[in-house]
Amino acid sequence: MEPLTLDAIRALARSLGLDLTDEELAGLLPLVQTARAMMDALPSEALRDLEPASQYRIL
Amino acid sequence: MSDLVWKSATELARAIAAREISPVEVVQAHLDRIAALDGKLKAYLTLTAEAALERAKAAEAAVMSGEPLGRLHGVPVGFKDLYWTKGVTTTGGSRILAGWVPDEDATAVSRLAAAGAIALGKLNMHEFAYGPEGLNPHYGNPWNPWDHNTHRICGGSSSGSGAAVAAGLCAGALGSDTGGSIRIPSALCGISGIKPTYGRVSRAGVLPLAWSLDHVGPMCRSAADCALMLGAMAGYDPRDPTTSVLPVPDYTGALTGQIKGLRVGVLRSFFLESTGMALRQAVEEAVKVLEGLGATAHEVNLETVGHAPAASHAVLAPEAFAYHEAWLKARPGDYGEDVRQRLRVGAFVSGAEYLKGQRARALIRGEVDGALAKADVLVCATTPIVATAVGQAEVTVEHEKLPVRASLIRFTRPFNLTGHPAASIPCGFTAAGLPVGLQIIGRPFDEATVLRVADAYQRATDWHARRPPVDQPRPAGPEGAAA
Repeated sequence: MEPLTLDAIRALARSLGLDLTDEELAGLLPLVQTARAMMDALPSEALRDLEPASQYRIL
Repeated sequence: MSDLVWKSATELARAIAAREISPVEVVQAHLDRIAALDGKLKAYLTLTAEAALERAKAAEAAVMSGEPLGRLHGVPVGFKDLYWTKGVTTTGGSRILAGWVPDEDATAVSRLAAAGAIALGKLNMHEFAYGPEGLNPHYGNPWNPWDHNTHRICGGSSSGSGAAVAAGLCAGALGSDTGGSIRIPSALCGISGIKPTYGRVSRAGVLPLAWSLDHVGPMCRSAADCALMLGAMAGYDPRDPTTSVLPVPDYTGALTGQIKGLRVGVLRSFFLESTGMALRQAVEEAVKVLEGLGATAHEVNLETVGHAPAASHAVLAPEAFAYHEAWLKARPGDYGEDVRQRLRVGAFVSGAEYLKGQRARALIRGEVDGALAKADVLVCATTPIVATAVGQAEVTVEHEKLPVRASLIRFTRPFNLTGHPAASIPCGFTAAGLPVGLQIIGRPFDEATVLRVADAYQRATDWHARRPPVDQPRPAGPEGAAA
């Protein structure tokens, strides 16, 4: 996964309608990077045959 | 101060029904205690003293005229300020909702009222429930009643609920739990709390943090009291389509004190890493107590639980952002810095990542279900650390520096992902006098077994009966000094 740059997160934020200063974006960048790396590390093989628990009901 | 404030909800209900004590004297005793202690503890955000006394007088009249009484008749309770309360300010611990007054009650609130409980007020919390420390920059940080001298966190997000119950400022409270927010303050404040199965208790009228992870439940000074409150709240609610139609068992009736032959799975590896030795020892001792009562114990390793942080983030963060999006864009400055940051991070989770998290959730749930096919309950420490000082970001555990926030939710959030019922009860204290929590996890909709184990343990021990030193004169020393 390509690391995010400040320019990339700025563009993403703008596309999401978030009006953030460069200082705020710089503060968010490492947090978003860490989160993306964590989610990227979820094991795709083990998840292959699993459906999302989106309709989460325990009956 | 009156000893009435230390009576359990169960005992209060019995004594009121038996005309041994009046609901008016019970409520007044609690109001007096709140007046004496809450200036420091900051457990309450809104006090409804007049209304509580009016209800207490009506409750007394009902007793004297022989009317049928609910199971919580005359018992004073507090509600986390996340719960809609008709005619009473509900802020969510935020400036965003400062002064907002709902025109209806949350289902859980109305069911407790129908059972005769008397609301004393709304309890402090981490802003919008989005934090395990239980801090609040807008209304003040609650003070953990177990440390007279140092301002320690109560744990969150139901911090005011934890402090109020621990300090005798109410007989029971409602909390909510999305990553540990009932269990963490229960552990750090030395009380009992249960996150029921997802769908066991209605979330209608409870401000959401993450719809698919939010659970609502009681916090009390004993498992028996939790059983009493849960029995009054649980059950299908057409206002919340995620609630289950499964019948609600008699949780109080299930507290037989018997756990002979019960199989206890003791969670190892992930649940031992980065855990303080005193907490590990307290859990080991707790397991020995359960074995002494006739249970059998075996070790359980959950391989997939290491994926819980990523899965939890992938689900919680975007759900929270989605709920707050409009406010966050229009009024970002009205959020506390930590919550504002966390909400913004959620905007950057993609749809594919969210679904990956939901699939990982199914993976973890499958493994926990498998473990509970061979055990009746699973146990572990509720948190790997005890209450830290307010403002402390890192804690040293066995020579390892760890972030406080991530540590607090480490052992609790997997069971928000899976939806299994999980309780926390006190199982000891550190040398510094800080409480340690034991987490007990059960099969879906088997709160009865979770509470039976917790109650059996509490019949054999007295950790849950200890009182914090809030009534003792304060020793001389600087106020709020960090440990």
